[in-house]
Amino acid sequence: MSPTCRTLDARGLPCPQPVILARKALAEGGFDTLEVTVDDAASRENLLKFGAYARCLVEAVDEGGLTRIRLTPQGLDPAPALADACPLPAGAAGGGPVEVVLLSADGIGQGDPDLARLLLRGFIYTLTEAERVPRRLLLMNSGVKLAVEGSESLANLRKLEARGVEVLACGTCLEFFGLTSLLAVGGITNMYELAGHLMEGPTLTLG
Amino acid sequence: MAMLLLATYASSHSALRAEQGLRAAGLQVELIPVPRQVRSDCGFGLLAEVPDGDLLARSGAQDLWRVTEPAAGQLRRTYEPYL
Repeated sequence: MSPTCRTLDARGLPCPQPVILARKALAEGGFDTLEVTVDDAASRENLLKFGAYARCLVEAVDEGGLTRIRLTPQGLDPAPALADACPLPAGAAGGGPVEVVLLSADGIGQGDPDLARLLLRGFIYTLTEAERVPRRLLLMNSGVKLAVEGSESLANLRKLEARGVEVLACGTCLEFFGLTSLLAVGGITNMYELAGHLMEGPTLTLG
Repeated sequence: MAMLLLATYASSHSALRAEQGLRAAGLQVELIPVPRQVRSDCGFGLLAEVPDGDLLARSGAQDLWRVTEPAAGQLRRTYEPYL
């Protein structure tokens, strides 16, 4: 049987959208090679990095301002987290960029709980408009309440996810609060994965 | 025609009270941090799609701002005074 190819036209789309589309297509599968057409240098570079990270054989053909990038999956896990593929800007002096944000409560700080929740809602909204976003947003303890049905922050967490932020909620915490079936954004994870992510780079903890 | 407005308030208590009142009145509102270029005594305001500014003005708002969604490739909404 001859190899099958799926094509994606990502011209005119800003980063990380071409990478998001490519990741989705790779996750769906059903072809041997994915060919993505882009028309700007940033998307070209990000797709090349994404392809390598996603364990694909990567080929790029440049012609007349367009680049056709062919991704042929080679490994077992072709759909890694997106923020890994869209590199973060260079870190500020004195420390690298925050890679992980840990939200360990459904509010920021002690004191009045209404104010704490208001501040955290505001922080999450502001992140959706920020130039720099973390690779991962980890939700633990009552922080998991942010990602369940009825949460005021649900829409903004989905926006962050669309920008490539991986949202991960602690499974034990969801189960403790009886919220597992109500998780509406992101994935469920365990302590091994959480501990691994918390140790992999600069982390900001709010809660 | 509906438009997106941001209402600012004199205090966070007023903003939270207005959020409750407007929701009870059936209006969908989102409490967001007030951007730097928008002046307000409180750091939070209410965003709502409304036909005009009447309902928001009656909620105790300090000022109203007309909001434009980000252009393609941009991240931030823009704001101008709503008279």
